[in-house]
Amino acid sequence: MENFSNETIDTTQLPKFEEVEFTVLHADYWKVTLLNVFFFFLLAGAGLGVLLFLNRGLLVFAVGILAAYFIFLFLVLLLSRISYKKKGFAFRTHDVLFRHGIIATNTIVIPYNRIQHVALHEGLVSRYFGLAKIEVFTAGGSSSDLEVPGIAIDQAENIKQLLMGKIQKQL
Amino acid sequence: MVEQFNQPQRQSAVGIVILFFDTIQKWGRALWPVLLVYVVRFDDSNKVYIFSGIGVFLIVTAVVAYLKYLNFTFYLQDENEEFIISEGIFNKTKTIIQLDKIQQVDINQSLIQRFIGVYELNVDTAGSAKKEGRIKAISHPLALALKARLLADEKKTSILSDEQTIVQEKSVEKESIVKISFLSLLKVGITSNYVKTLGLILAFFTTLYEQSKSFIADADFDKEQFDAYVEQRSVISSIVFFFILMFALVLIINLARVVYKYFDYKVAKQNSSLLLSFGLLSTKNTIVKPEKVQIVTVTRNYFQKKMNILEIKIRQATSSDKENSKTVIEIPGCNETEKEAVFKLLFQKIPVKGIVLKPNYRKLVFSIFLSMLLPVVAFFAFAKYIQPLFYDYTYAVVLYLLFVGLIVYFGFQNNRLYINDDFIIKQSGAWDIDNRIIEPSKIQAITTSQLFWHKKANIGSIIIHTAGGNLTFQLGDFSTIKHYVNLWLYKVETSNDNWM
Repeated sequence: MENFSNETIDTTQLPKFEEVEFTVLHADYWKVTLLNVFFFFLLAGAGLGVLLFLNRGLLVFAVGILAAYFIFLFLVLLLSRISYKKKGFAFRTHDVLFRHGIIATNTIVIPYNRIQHVALHEGLVSRYFGLAKIEVFTAGGSSSDLEVPGIAIDQAENIKQLLMGKIQKQL
Repeated sequence: MVEQFNQPQRQSAVGIVILFFDTIQKWGRALWPVLLVYVVRFDDSNKVYIFSGIGVFLIVTAVVAYLKYLNFTFYLQDENEEFIISEGIFNKTKTIIQLDKIQQVDINQSLIQRFIGVYELNVDTAGSAKKEGRIKAISHPLALALKARLLADEKKTSILSDEQTIVQEKSVEKESIVKISFLSLLKVGITSNYVKTLGLILAFFTTLYEQSKSFIADADFDKEQFDAYVEQRSVISSIVFFFILMFALVLIINLARVVYKYFDYKVAKQNSSLLLSFGLLSTKNTIVKPEKVQIVTVTRNYFQKKMNILEIKIRQATSSDKENSKTVIEIPGCNETEKEAVFKLLFQKIPVKGIVLKPNYRKLVFSIFLSMLLPVVAFFAFAKYIQPLFYDYTYAVVLYLLFVGLIVYFGFQNNRLYINDDFIIKQSGAWDIDNRIIEPSKIQAITTSQLFWHKKANIGSIIIHTAGGNLTFQLGDFSTIKHYVNLWLYKVETSNDNWM
């Protein structure tokens, strides 16, 4: 009983999630994004080419289509770049944070004691660059799940190990 | 012999057949339009193409199925108590589930699986409806052994305690706390769900009209006579008549529905759980365990306030159990004292509205823009450039603006977030006013969000995720929101409250 104390907590002194330093994604992840965009537009371009070849009547609009194609490509690249720059993650003692968004800045925080399970995902292109994606699942449904892409595989393994350890400690 | 699962192992080899059919199903769904085109154009000249196409498709599927089989492994890691599934040919995924997070393991067998004598094993954790781990082909003894291993220690005790409570429940007296009278049900019937019932009636009449149209067209129907009959009655009186008829219909159907569904609604207390029973012809029984409750919603409109009734909706943690998922438990027609009795059982205390957060005026401006300005501009643009006849209906635009304006205004006025130490209450709605109540310990995750042009105004949004759904509050004072996010995180992270 003597050791028991129950002091008032100064809620203004609580650690602030908004002041956390975020780690940016691996530089190679930008290359992965670029390659994915590139493949997508290559396929779309091939599709357009076939369409124009089969339907010669559309050739009148060739310049317009080409312009739209490149404007679209430019926009996608621009937005991907902003999105890549904005993404960041942080692991604190008791929770994991992930920041993302293009026009909005969204920050999702998941306390470790609410994690249900964890998954490591390696996409084909990502694997070539030695990158993996960590997925953290809670009981709150898909809107409260968290995916951190662009982490070096060995680091991802470490993070996974850390998360699993944290979950266990809470029990 | 005790089966060991500590080495990564593949599924049953015959499981390739399952994976094969699975892949065919998946791809078939994506490719059937292509197939359809070929079948429609079927003639001798492209016969070769079709059959070779199908042949190639089947071979590729078989190879993919084989590769999927090779790349799918599962094992138990003993020292960390983890169940690990690796899958994927090019895109690899490794799912790691801690054993004591596993809620349920079920073993199923589909028709094809029965044919080749394998079983499917699904691993399910709390929350999301989807299965977290799925092994598609496993022999029965192995499945049983794995299930036993997955559900070792932790679960056994919980199952045991469940059985004990059932035994206890029989001996414990039920204590009735709420009994909803027939009068209250009548009140509920005439004050709620107008829009829903109106929609049902309209849908009913539209189908009826569609049916009768073809019937009338068939019969030898004298259209002129009908038109003359219609003209005899003045248009206005028929419109009034129509509205009164509609309103009466809505009320009658509402009453019948409410009475049928909720007749003899009783809430009793048993141990610490709520026992609900209701229904006219067949009585439904439901048990609500307070620790499973995630969000409680209290709904009331102006009439109901005057009549001293309200509706309580209880949302529990959704799990794979089809019975539980998506079911919202409703207690209609409570009065204030009954509400308090229910709340005492669910929360141990009466939720109090603490400090209030109001949305910024920009939220109002945005709603006005979205639901008033845009439609009106669209209307006049349509009238100007496409169909000038639309100008005749300008009075409808005025009515629309009045109606929607009221909804938008009251919706904004009622949009509030109340926070105190034990509860977070989100109030919303224009006519039916909802108060969604959650306890901070039920929080699973928190998302904050801010548009870059709102940084200067220091406003932003918050989404609180629970296992029973999300609570969203938009464009509130961002410093206050961030302050409370830190506080709630602190609360969740320092206590080990059971959220379900």
